[in-house]
Amino acid sequence: MASSHGNTHSEAAKMEQIITEFFAKSLHIILESRSPFVSSRNYSGEQTMSSPSSSSSSLSSVRSRDRWFNLALRESPAVLENLDLWRQSNPEPIMVDVILEQRPVDWNPLNFSPKRNLVRNLSSKERYPHCCNSDQEELGSEAKSEKIIERWIVQYETKKFRDSSSGGRRSSNNTLPTLYKKAILLLRSLYVTVRLLPAYKIFRDLNCSGQIHAFKLVPKVSSFVEPFTRKEEAEMQRFGFTPVDTSSGRLCLSVFYRSPLLDMSSGSSTPMSPQFIPDYVGSPLADPLKRFPSLPVSHGSPSSLPFSRRHSWSYENYKVSPSSLPFSPSPTHSESHALVSNPNSHHFPPFSLPPHPPETSLAHKKSRNFDEYCPSPTFSPSPSPSPPIYIPGNHQPKALLRSESAPVNIPGPKFATSPALSNRQNLPPSPPCKLTKPNTSTAENIVGPDQIAAKIDKLLSFGREDSRRTSGVKISSNSSPRISFSRSSSRSFQDDFDDTEFPCPFDVEDDDSMDPSSRPGSYDKKGLLSDPLEGGALFPVRKSQDAAVGDLVRMLKKAPPLHQDFSSTSSSASRPELWRNSIQEPDKISEAMTLTHAASPSIPSSRLKTTADALEELRGYKEMKNLLLAQGDKSYSSAGHTSKGESSSKA
Amino acid sequence: MHLKIRNILSFWDYRFLHERQIVSTSHRVLNAATLQPISRVQAVIGFSSSVSASTIIMNCEVCQLKELEVEHFQIHEVLSCILHTIVFHRALGLVRPKDVDLELFEITYVQCGDAEIEKKIREKIEEFISWVEKHPNKKSQICLSFYEVKSKQQSWFTNKTERLYWERWYVNLNVTQHPRAHSGKSHHSKVVVDPGESESEERSVRRAALEASIREVMFQIIKFANEKKDHVPSISEGIIHFPYEITFPRKLQ
Repeated sequence: MASSHGNTHSEAAKMEQIITEFFAKSLHIILESRSPFVSSRNYSGEQTMSSPSSSSSSLSSVRSRDRWFNLALRESPAVLENLDLWRQSNPEPIMVDVILEQRPVDWNPLNFSPKRNLVRNLSSKERYPHCCNSDQEELGSEAKSEKIIERWIVQYETKKFRDSSSGGRRSSNNTLPTLYKKAILLLRSLYVTVRLLPAYKIFRDLNCSGQIHAFKLVPKVSSFVEPFTRKEEAEMQRFGFTPVDTSSGRLCLSVFYRSPLLDMSSGSSTPMSPQFIPDYVGSPLADPLKRFPSLPVSHGSPSSLPFSRRHSWSYENYKVSPSSLPFSPSPTHSESHALVSNPNSHHFPPFSLPPHPPETSLAHKKSRNFDEYCPSPTFSPSPSPSPPIYIPGNHQPKALLRSESAPVNIPGPKFATSPALSNRQNLPPSPPCKLTKPNTSTAENIVGPDQIAAKIDKLLSFGREDSRRTSGVKISSNSSPRISFSRSSSRSFQDDFDDTEFPCPFDVEDDDSMDPSSRPGSYDKKGLLSDPLEGGALFPVRKSQDAAVGDLVRMLKKAPPLHQDFSSTSSSASRPELWRNSIQEPDKISEAMTLTHAASPSIPSSRLKTTADALEELRGYKEMKNLLLAQGDKSYSSAGHTSKGESSSKA
Repeated sequence: MHLKIRNILSFWDYRFLHERQIVSTSHRVLNAATLQPISRVQAVIGFSSSVSASTIIMNCEVCQLKELEVEHFQIHEVLSCILHTIVFHRALGLVRPKDVDLELFEITYVQCGDAEIEKKIREKIEEFISWVEKHPNKKSQICLSFYEVKSKQQSWFTNKTERLYWERWYVNLNVTQHPRAHSGKSHHSKVVVDPGESESEERSVRRAALEASIREVMFQIIKFANEKKDHVPSISEGIIHFPYEITFPRKLQ
């Protein structure tokens, strides 16, 4: 700029220069941290070295630009290009719209639904029913949706006929240094603010991680933008910097930004499958709870034996379960849930074993593995207005963690605190967890056997608790839920047997171990759970979950006829007594028995064929119980004697 | 000899009581005891005595930042973030900003890129942490003050320099000692001990709340630094930042 003679003239020119450079600098700052493919973090001096070399003419300008306002910024080609473009036209004011574009990606159907759901989540999160959502749903994968997440406005407001004569004159002498100083301060603030706003995180996620994202951050510089609609404006927050007054106007800088954190890149980068697993595995928990509200205690201890058969209704569960769980949603969970909730998503293979690593990782997610979950936003529960999708997913891994893995031993606070009440305590969390039930399985004709199965499970679990008390084996705490799980599995097994939809994966395993008669033997050993039970209960220890479940299922399947057979006999009365004494849950047992009685006629006659086996099993149970009682509390002793007498009379 | 000096100094203290910062006076006393002249000091690190602030400060802007509830292992990061942000705002010399990500939170703050500043702030934070360990009071306050050094007429035994504080920032911390914070002893450890599920839930909720509070404080700093600009003295060549000091009172209830 030519500094012509005359103080005022030169000063005005200088002021003009300062203002122009202020615009350029602010634009630089904004673009530097919002431009795609620009890593403003580790550029250090490399870019500054390369840019002078690239164009000799701009060498001095680069340097001078660097030193303007005493803020040496990293320069990248993209940013410089934009700056040069701006300098050519030099429009004022500067309006930078930071737009989040969703690239049209040809996703396969598996991945497509998550994107859709992500958009839905995104839009719901932002409460922004903009074109994104509609585009996605209408045009499928070909929509390119844009959303303005930030709008920066840098302008110089000229004041007209205001203190132009006296005050301006006087202050103009020290205006320039003051102006420069204030501009420096303002730009410092701008630099810090740019990194505090939510869009910076998106910028970092998109640029820093090496994954391809479905989203792109595009800053658009213009001098005129369409004003926001009222709806948009309602969703934006404004932050205005204090203007810098000059003699002839003032420099204003403000930003409109969306306050909720955007969950942009979470869907595209993180692998979906691990996220699903906990949700998937956790889904069976819902079923036992919903199916039998009369037995809140017995069912639904939140163990998590994954049953491949559960795929069908698990998804339905997810669809139906907008449970309001007070868990801070994490993006990964949200994704998985979003995916799972899509009924079109695939039938996932049995996730029995894989859940462990993701569960543990999820459990430790709270230690904030940024690298691992680069796109994941914060854990803060506040920014997500779409809890229905997020929360169940979060809770399920919790449930899983509680019940499943003994090594992880997550059953800390919720689970293994009181063995005697473990079942009961486990249940309350899980009912809220999964409030839905499988709609596919018909409940009417299975009530009876399932109730019975539940009873047996309770017996076993309580027996185990007794043994645990004496032996102090912690594994049993894991086993009890697993037993209940097997019960639930058996229930669904029966459902599926009726429907013959899914082959039971558990049939393959260890048929012999399912022999209930061997069970008392197992109890004989130490009162600890031995192989069959362990197979059923302690899957991480011995067999696979499938085998264990299969064992128990088979065992329990044989159990139902017992009740039907004896329902008419006096033993049915003694049975509840027996159980009542041992388990000390008279109400529920009587309820179960009532249901059994009610359901007995509906049980198919084919079950009567297994009466002999059932009798044998009953004997086994009694022996088992007696053993447990003998080892357990003395308070049971009388009941045991009573039951012994009853059982002997029955036999 | 020392007594004599002390008397003289006390006389001078009294004389300048109404014109100077008592803090600066005390500094003179401290330094005079060692018979070292005080040259123009750009930045002084030191504990402030428990002299009450009966100071007469001209044009000193004071900013009380919102109180933050931090756990012991978070002190370092939180303080580092806040102090660097404040200094960056007032570093009017040429800076090459350096972005620093916090490990415990999803916040990126800016440093001046000056090694000396970093070192000084780090040392001060470590001092503070050790002080907090010794004084497990709940609330503590760190004061970052920017001052101007005015050298007065030469006295016959020492140079008189005084500080005119033109800005003070008070960082209020509430250091919570949670019973399960095993890592509290080591102020360098940032390992979060996860005692259990419910604990970790609480912790994550607390951490999220703290992160939001830190952001608020950062915005508070930005707003304050933007609003109050007139009192900032002019920059001079060759100096990156204004002289500043970080102090914390010994006892604060």
